[in-house]
Amino acid sequence: MLEVFGRRPYLVLLVMALLLAPVPFLQLNDYIVHVLTLFLIFAVFATGWNITLGLLGLKTLGHHAFFAIGAYASALVSHYFGVSPWITMWLGALIAAVAGIIIGFPILRIRSMPHVAIVTLAFAEIVRLVFANLKDITRGELGFWGIPPFNPIGIGDTAIRFGLGNAAGSFALAAVLFVGVHLILLLLLRGRCGLTFLAIRDAEAAAESLGVRLAAWKLFAFGISAAVVGLSGAVYAHYLMILTPTSVAGPEMLISLLAMIIVGGVGRFFGPIYGALLLTATSELLRDFGDYRMLLYGALIIVFVFIAPAGIAGLKPRLGRKPAEATKPVEAV
Amino acid sequence: MLQLERVNVHYGATRVLWDVSMEVGAGEIVAIMGPNGSGKSTVLKAAMGLKKPSSGVVRLDGEELQARSATVRPQRGMSIVLERRRLFPRMSVEENVMLGAYTRKTAEARETYRWVLDLLPEIKPHLNATAGKLSGGQQQMVAIARGLMANPRVLLMDEPFLGLSPAMVKTVCSIMQMINERGVAILFNEQNAKLSFAMSHRGYLLESGRVVLSGSGEDMLDHPEVRRVYLGMREEAA
Amino acid sequence: MSSTQFIELVLNGLITGSIYALVGSGIALVYGTTRVLNFAHGELMMLAGYGVLLFSVTLGWPVLLAALATILLVMLLGAIIQRVTIAPLMKREDWAFNVVAVTIGLSIFLQSAAQLIWGEQFQGVPYFFSGVAVIGDVRMPWQRIAILLVALAVMGLCALVLFRTRLGRIIRATAQDAEAALAVGIPSGLVHTAVFSISAALAGTGAILLSPLVTVSPWMGASYLLKGFAVVILGGLGSFGGAVAAGFLLGLIESFSVSFVSSEWSNVVAFVFLIAVIWVRPEGLFAGRGA
Repeated sequence: MLEVFGRRPYLVLLVMALLLAPVPFLQLNDYIVHVLTLFLIFAVFATGWNITLGLLGLKTLGHHAFFAIGAYASALVSHYFGVSPWITMWLGALIAAVAGIIIGFPILRIRSMPHVAIVTLAFAEIVRLVFANLKDITRGELGFWGIPPFNPIGIGDTAIRFGLGNAAGSFALAAVLFVGVHLILLLLLRGRCGLTFLAIRDAEAAAESLGVRLAAWKLFAFGISAAVVGLSGAVYAHYLMILTPTSVAGPEMLISLLAMIIVGGVGRFFGPIYGALLLTATSELLRDFGDYRMLLYGALIIVFVFIAPAGIAGLKPRLGRKPAEATKPVEAV
Repeated sequence: MLQLERVNVHYGATRVLWDVSMEVGAGEIVAIMGPNGSGKSTVLKAAMGLKKPSSGVVRLDGEELQARSATVRPQRGMSIVLERRRLFPRMSVEENVMLGAYTRKTAEARETYRWVLDLLPEIKPHLNATAGKLSGGQQQMVAIARGLMANPRVLLMDEPFLGLSPAMVKTVCSIMQMINERGVAILFNEQNAKLSFAMSHRGYLLESGRVVLSGSGEDMLDHPEVRRVYLGMREEAA
Repeated sequence: MSSTQFIELVLNGLITGSIYALVGSGIALVYGTTRVLNFAHGELMMLAGYGVLLFSVTLGWPVLLAALATILLVMLLGAIIQRVTIAPLMKREDWAFNVVAVTIGLSIFLQSAAQLIWGEQFQGVPYFFSGVAVIGDVRMPWQRIAILLVALAVMGLCALVLFRTRLGRIIRATAQDAEAALAVGIPSGLVHTAVFSISAALAGTGAILLSPLVTVSPWMGASYLLKGFAVVILGGLGSFGGAVAAGFLLGLIESFSVSFVSSEWSNVVAFVFLIAVIWVRPEGLFAGRGA
């Protein structure tokens, strides 16, 4: 648990919240606030994916599908039925969770990593193709535009507006989402639930023999993970107000998020956040060299796996402590 | 001939062998006895180069091998029969046996092949069978044959009696003695003290990754500690 | 459905399937021997595409020579990729996911590098074979039929190497029990490299055969990777023969699905079929001989 959450996770989250809080009032350049907003949304996405990838240890590679499902479900319902995005975002998360549980079923019986990786990858491809092919509803790769932004909220005389072009409001919303999701996940995962996930990851057979109901727990993890990712997708959709199947469920999304998690630290609670910040920032710095973005992400993945497989989050604790030498002799063969 | 000097082995952060030193002289049968998890298999793997020691020396006829890959051992006259046979399950018995001579010239291998089949005539009828489909005892014969194909001067055997019927254990014992009579030294491990030391010239007792006792096979069988703990005899009865 | 249509669908399915089989059998061979799932396999195809473009179009070499040079080139690249990026990771305890991550990174890195070097414009290679074969009422360009024939020949050659040569014997031994192979003196590290080379040659063959029909682009391999993976799972993870059979099966399924749904849904059909199979029979459809 210590390895996953660090020493004082609530304090870390509080510091993050305090750092985020003044941003809307700093009169920063809109573009910078936009980049920070994207960072927050992707950080939530990455954290959600990390639940199955890092904590449960199932090497799923198709979570961009849940992002797309959350985004499109929320966008389509609010657009066609005029329902407020404040409501449809939860619907998006719910539908993503249901999709997560459904794709969890074929994975339950499988312990081989390649099977899990390929099933989830194929699922993501199906989702992308479905959104691309249902042109009457989604306009396919032409892009589904005109997605309504979140309705303004009035506080006293001032109305907080959202959506692209309303940088401060959008940032505030993303920050609330970010802090809220991480807080809820901390409450959930620091308890029995997180322990069970880690037990399944580190010793599946042993966990089962201790009476852990593997199937139920795995499906639960899939559902939570997909819901978080779907929620981030919905917020993304109503923020950018346009979606294309390839931009949300294409390979670049997969690579970007995978890079964030690996650079940040697979299986560390705060790892994906650091990764998301670093990669969102650098990719926007390299905006004028758009063609180099994927080159950089590919290179970063390779470099981190070789040099720092535990990611940024894994670097810090290593400085102070020496690795404890276990003294218990065990014949492992 | 084969010497281990202060060999230490780690699995990750877990230390499994603590300064283990052993020796196998030419033509000897040497047993490593110890309870489950004492590190017996690891000693053999470290000797064979299948597990790299974190420190210590593995010497064969004066040549230090601890840093060399496992693949040089067969050429130097050392081979291993792995725990649970470990045949190539979807290959024929003949292919399995011939792969034991992978490092040798074909003509020499053919000669050894005839010698091995004479020694182990039981496998002759199964040469074309798929190795994975044989019984445990038959597989052990094939595994021994494969080990002998390197024409070793020292043969390592990891748990050679594991999972065999009592009759089969007897057969394997006599095969081991037969091999030994042809001048091949044998280092093997086994949990059963009586089985280990009755048939060996010398023996080592391994506990928690450390050598706690060594001596001739008879001495080991007579040692009070061995009698008490491993043979279940009370002191007075000795 | 008329018999002409039927023959055409079968032929189209077999032709597409032969590419899937080439790609998938290479992935299966690598997985079966080394337990590595290589996500950069598609980029070996892509590099072969640019190779054949370089040798046959830019340098104007005869087709056969250009193809041979391309195969040798990708075999070398496959070996280098294995030695430099994969072999060093295999010593780690959690190498399986490390290798997946690194090959994903390598895949996107090579794609973007190709895009930066050769640009986005798609480039075509002229037909190697001219003329049209007439089978009953079915007319099919020889270039397409050649895909099927050459693919069969190359996979047959590969099977011959696997099951009839010394190299094949040590590859199969390493695949079936790597430690036991090491113990009899087989240098498993070199076997792994050799297997990557053979797998690259299979992918390269696919790319060369495709290059006159589809254009050479940085993404030409990526679109076949997931199909290759599907084939590997359907054929039973790591089975060479199973992957070949599954490749043809998947090609036929896609070909016939077009007569029921519009062509843009044929990939959906293929992947839904894959997930259904994994659900019901995770061990694959064919319990064939392993590599």
